[in-house]
Amino acid sequence: MSNEYETFARDPQRLLSGREVVLTLRDLTPGRRKYRGVSVRAVVSRPPRPGEPRLWIRSVVGNRDPQPCSVRIVEALPEAFAAVPYSDFFQAMERAERR
Amino acid sequence: MRGVSPGHPDKERHLVHDDLRSFLAAIQSTGDLVDIDDEVDWDQELAGIGRLGCERGAPACRFNNVKDYPGWRIMCNPIATWRRMAVAFGLPADSPVPKLYETYAAREQQLVPPVKVKTGACKEVVIPGDRVDLFDLPVPMVHEGDGGRYLGTWDLVVSQDLKSNWVNWGMYRFMVHNERLLTGFPRPTSHLGKMLLDGYVPEGRPMPIAIAIGCDPLSHLAAAATFRIAGNEADLAGGLRQAPVELVKCETSELYVPASAEMVIEAEVYPDRVNQEGPYGEYPGYRSGEMGNAICARVTAITHRRDPILTLDTTGFMDSSATSTSISGAIAIQRRLEANGVPVKAVYVPPEGGVHLAIVSVRKGGAETARKVIDVLTVRRALISKVIVVDVDVDVFNMAAVLHAFATKCHPARGMHVTSYVGRANTLTPAYTQEERVSRSGASVAFDATWPPDWAADATPVRATLDSMYSPEIQRRVLERWKALGL
Repeated sequence: MSNEYETFARDPQRLLSGREVVLTLRDLTPGRRKYRGVSVRAVVSRPPRPGEPRLWIRSVVGNRDPQPCSVRIVEALPEAFAAVPYSDFFQAMERAERR
Repeated sequence: MRGVSPGHPDKERHLVHDDLRSFLAAIQSTGDLVDIDDEVDWDQELAGIGRLGCERGAPACRFNNVKDYPGWRIMCNPIATWRRMAVAFGLPADSPVPKLYETYAAREQQLVPPVKVKTGACKEVVIPGDRVDLFDLPVPMVHEGDGGRYLGTWDLVVSQDLKSNWVNWGMYRFMVHNERLLTGFPRPTSHLGKMLLDGYVPEGRPMPIAIAIGCDPLSHLAAAATFRIAGNEADLAGGLRQAPVELVKCETSELYVPASAEMVIEAEVYPDRVNQEGPYGEYPGYRSGEMGNAICARVTAITHRRDPILTLDTTGFMDSSATSTSISGAIAIQRRLEANGVPVKAVYVPPEGGVHLAIVSVRKGGAETARKVIDVLTVRRALISKVIVVDVDVDVFNMAAVLHAFATKCHPARGMHVTSYVGRANTLTPAYTQEERVSRSGASVAFDATWPPDWAADATPVRATLDSMYSPEIQRRVLERWKALGL
């Protein structure tokens, strides 16, 4: 597991609700595998909890929220979400969350 | 590199580049390529150098020492300047822009089908799907804040219609998600998107694609071109090159790719899966937040040369689209307007407009013509959202003259002709809201900078320039004395 991730959110409040959410993380560990994506079920905390990997939230235009979070990964999910091509990815994640 | 046959309709003798390396040698000889041997980081630094190169019109770069990836090379911004495009056409590097337009328009009319060969340089190394690791490739992180590392920025993506022989080449962005998964953004209104949504998705079948990287420059230009539905861009590439493209069969599908490519990534697009794609700093010069609306593909094999050169377009303001998409888009606009009876003389898509602005000169102007122009150009999809329509005496390539006509002749109330649409807008247009992006809603406008045809000639303003407001005799005398007067 990495020490630092980032994620992209249309609605950051959904991530910060304190409940388990489905999201795609980008691993920020330096080296050849930097920015590798992983889909997970996780709990996001702000302020960051000690001992949890750091998480940065970016907006849909890529701007990084300067306030850090942490993420506790509950479960690794399959690498892609069920939906026809060009479906709204954020809605696909929310559907996966309800399963 | 080879010469065009003497009997070819083009009067001049041109040199055709058979592969990327031949083209690189040519632009090196004209001073349009710089080799960089110092180590450069693939994580933003490399693309940052390329980005500034676009903004300053600098030479292309070949990075020979990429951090974490010894032995790999990356070539940046192949034809992001008119000089490099001229060399790609086999013309002198200082050829004027109208000459490049003229060359494209002439060669586009002489399609040359590709030929199939048994093997090629792109097969020197074959990596089967179960051994593929996309992180073995020096895929750059192009901009800070992008959704991931982008492999397909200057590529040629091959796909085939499920129900016909139509083979599409397109230039589409692809992002690395993990070792074998790519996400991509060929727009749903693109030809690949149409093949996928009309053919493979309804049948629940994965769609084979092949992402060819580092082909000869005119094959990439053809892939980026606005070309008709059911038209094979491989034929267009042959026309632009004035020589057929040699194609070789993929390892894991029936698709054929340019044999001289530096690398080919074979994959299958899922008919029922999505994942994050983007955001990404794109050719209009912004990162617009169009993410969450893409396709997802699993790599089935990679083939490449023994010492491949990855190509990169550092997308943003004045990237390679400023020349490539602009020139093909302008010619496509001209053809479409001609086919629909618009009295068009010339079309120019200025590089600074981010492929969102076209200048159209017409032999007969007025509101009816302007309205027809915008209607014709937005029937299926609408990539260009602003068109300035000018009279035939305005040189479309002279932006000072175009701006003068626009500022003075376009009526501030009656001169704008707007059309709105849903489902076919350009989701990369920065002016749109996030909601408009999701619904692909948008609008296009024609600015009518022509004189109304019903205005009497003796009441139409006369332009106060030497060529309009002076007699031919005075014009001749002024021009004759110009230098002698010390001017």
